[in-house]
Amino acid sequence: MNESQDDDAALEPAAMLALMQNQQRSIERQVNGFVPVITLGWALTWLLGFGALWLIDGLRPAFALPVEVAVWFFVVCVLATGALSAILGIRSGRGLRGNTAAAFTGTVYGITWGVGATALGVLGAAFRAQGMTAELANFYYPSAYVLFAGIMYMIAGGIWRTVPSLIAGAWLVMVAAAAPFFGYPHHYLFIAVTAGGAFLALSAIGFAELRRVRNAANGGTSRG
Amino acid sequence: MDELDPVIHAQARLRIMSALSTLELDESISFPRLQELLDMTAGNMSTHLRKLEDAAYVDITKTHKGRTPITYLGLSKKGRRAFEDYMDTLRSVLGER
Repeated sequence: MNESQDDDAALEPAAMLALMQNQQRSIERQVNGFVPVITLGWALTWLLGFGALWLIDGLRPAFALPVEVAVWFFVVCVLATGALSAILGIRSGRGLRGNTAAAFTGTVYGITWGVGATALGVLGAAFRAQGMTAELANFYYPSAYVLFAGIMYMIAGGIWRTVPSLIAGAWLVMVAAAAPFFGYPHHYLFIAVTAGGAFLALSAIGFAELRRVRNAANGGTSRG
Repeated sequence: MDELDPVIHAQARLRIMSALSTLELDESISFPRLQELLDMTAGNMSTHLRKLEDAAYVDITKTHKGRTPITYLGLSKKGRRAFEDYMDTLRSVLGER
């Protein structure tokens, strides 16, 4: 930034205050700048992934997406966004060493995602073994997973005190609970639009906030 | 409390202290990551870190990741307090309090 200047010297008090605030904003932006990108990734996954599932039967007889194509597309969307989230999260956390309590919380939270998601899959298979029809399974799986994701977002909001995460989580929980009322295949469209739309809005807010921080860090001295 | 702490009252050291102040208590950051975030040269950052370390404002922990030595930096309790005092003084100089 200002390497060439005499950085051992002090500026006017007002300029020093601005320097401090801009530096803190700049760090914040560099460390957390990936969050709206991930949110956008999930928005597209909800929209396109569930959109594809809806297209299996949603536009018949005009159009029908083959089941295999839709399901694979959905799975690839989820896996790709999950991988993107993990990679960007790890990249942003590199070189940072938290205290052991924070590390424990993070690890438990991460494991809970895996344990919960696996258990819901097993539970679904168990229900199928006990006679749950394929028609009912069409409602069970999306609602179970969206509900679980919503609860995990809410918990994350509580642990790391992020209100947007809390709100997004609560929204997903309601979407998951209400979806079956819309009937097959429109519950897929309902999830795609409501969950995808909410995440799109959330990422737009995140990008706007980043832009505000970037402008402030690039020389705005009055705001903060 | 009217004197601005000369250890912090220099552009480079204020930037380092500001960056470290965004970390949680007990959190620390590796030397290369901090260097990247601040966009400072290693030599320059070392010089200023030494002054902050001499004043016991910064805790420096040397550890190993495999065979690579890594240095972690974080604000000490004294440093965190000094940074807050510095901010208070700065604001009172500016007539904000």
